[in-house]
Amino acid sequence: MMALLPEKFVSLNPFVESWALPNELQRSQQRWSASEEDYRRFYDAMMPMLDETLDYLDQYEIGNIPEEAIVLYHLSLAFAEAAPHVELYECANQVPNSFEAVRFEAAHGEQIDS
Amino acid sequence: MAAASDELKRAMPYTTRYPELGTGPIDVAPLIDPDLFELEKEKIFRKTWLLVGREEEIPEPGDYKVRQIDVASTSVIVVRDKTGKINAFHNLCTHRGNKIIQEEGAQTTGRTRSHLMTCRFHAWSFSTDGKLHGVPKEENFNKLDKNCLGLKTIHCEQWQGFIFINLDKTPEKNLVEYLEGMADQFAGYPYHESTVSYRYSTVLNCNWKVAMYAFSEGYHVPTIHAATLPSLAKIEQIDYQCFGPHSTSALYVPPVAGMQPTPATGNLGGRLVTSKQHGPHLDLLPEKINPERRTDFQFEFPVFFPNLVLHLGAGNGYPGMTYFHHQFWPLSVGQTLWEGTNYFRPPKTPSERVAIAHTNALHRNAWLEDTSTMEDTYAALCSGALDEMVLMDEEIMIRNTHRAWHEYMGV
Repeated sequence: MMALLPEKFVSLNPFVESWALPNELQRSQQRWSASEEDYRRFYDAMMPMLDETLDYLDQYEIGNIPEEAIVLYHLSLAFAEAAPHVELYECANQVPNSFEAVRFEAAHGEQIDS
Repeated sequence: MAAASDELKRAMPYTTRYPELGTGPIDVAPLIDPDLFELEKEKIFRKTWLLVGREEEIPEPGDYKVRQIDVASTSVIVVRDKTGKINAFHNLCTHRGNKIIQEEGAQTTGRTRSHLMTCRFHAWSFSTDGKLHGVPKEENFNKLDKNCLGLKTIHCEQWQGFIFINLDKTPEKNLVEYLEGMADQFAGYPYHESTVSYRYSTVLNCNWKVAMYAFSEGYHVPTIHAATLPSLAKIEQIDYQCFGPHSTSALYVPPVAGMQPTPATGNLGGRLVTSKQHGPHLDLLPEKINPERRTDFQFEFPVFFPNLVLHLGAGNGYPGMTYFHHQFWPLSVGQTLWEGTNYFRPPKTPSERVAIAHTNALHRNAWLEDTSTMEDTYAALCSGALDEMVLMDEEIMIRNTHRAWHEYMGV
């Protein structure tokens, strides 16, 4: 695999392929199929590094994040969207007792976060 | 109507303030009867002011939005003309009726070229003020009077940056008159600053009022939202007011001792709460909203007849100085297009964007919980086993909408 993450964050490399996705729709599809174990590992790896990650990203301008940081940015967005599953839903990939998430269409779903 | 007894006033302090609402059960037929649905099209959706968008969606002259309105069998073009004025027209060519702008779903935005909208059938073109501009082979018509063949106009007015239309040929009231006390009550909130929007939609197999009523009370919050919003286990829903067919109330969450946010919520939510841009701004609420300026204020949620529920936050409930709204567009007696839209102030940094993604995910997840009961409710009601439903005091806004529904329908 290419070195996709800045050096300080190489410990997060195992999560890049599954989670560092550029738009909400793709990240949602990952959330809906991730296993309990996937959620737990991703959360446990990323939560302790959250401050460091966001501080690193904040040296850049939103809408204009360079290639060397974009994967970390997408990973952070995936974390923000996945964290409730770990903290609130016992790592279930669906919101408990909810409407079918796949039936919600996001108008912005295919918008690339850059 | 007889005055309410002291006991009833204690049980239903808000409802009894409005004697016209009554305190008895409401009828179920309006939620399931196909004949009543046909009547609603004429009596409600062709008579009332309907929200179709925000001014920020069409910021520049020449920008347009097309909104499908199935319940009125039409598609509406809302377009900003050269003078900056916003006009609304039926999306229909006055030649042989083809749609002028092709839609990409229920809501489509775009920009006209050179202020012209051209029908792809025979290339008739119309300007953004609705005038018929160009007709190929005009000389081969029998004395074409272009002045009479402009786009078919729809009444369009704005309030606080919200664009409303009215499909009635001659609306009984202008928009502000129609909004009654709501127009003043909710004026002044910085809606125009929350320009980043996230919209979710789905077709629900239920009557539009089943969906709307589910979003019109806070009674369900501790049960339905137990997973996503555990901090809302104990809520206080107060400040109810009715303004004609519309109504409002506010939700407060008295702090629970020892309750700590989860780590990601604490971190990401905390970033918004402590920022000047996104943090709590009780000072920006219109003065009649949260009049005591309580810091445990979550949001005010006004219900606008017929199909809009708005929520105004102040940054101290859900993190972020956000507002959001739900709309319920009937497709048939048992099908509804629901649209939920979150509006945030724009993030200034990547970390703010990430924090907003987290808040937005919580909103969306709560809506997945909200929508989980609606299809079951409708399917069960269609059994006909329940003729009436009883409502408690905190369901007063449903009662008011239902009363207004009967008034408009004349049944």
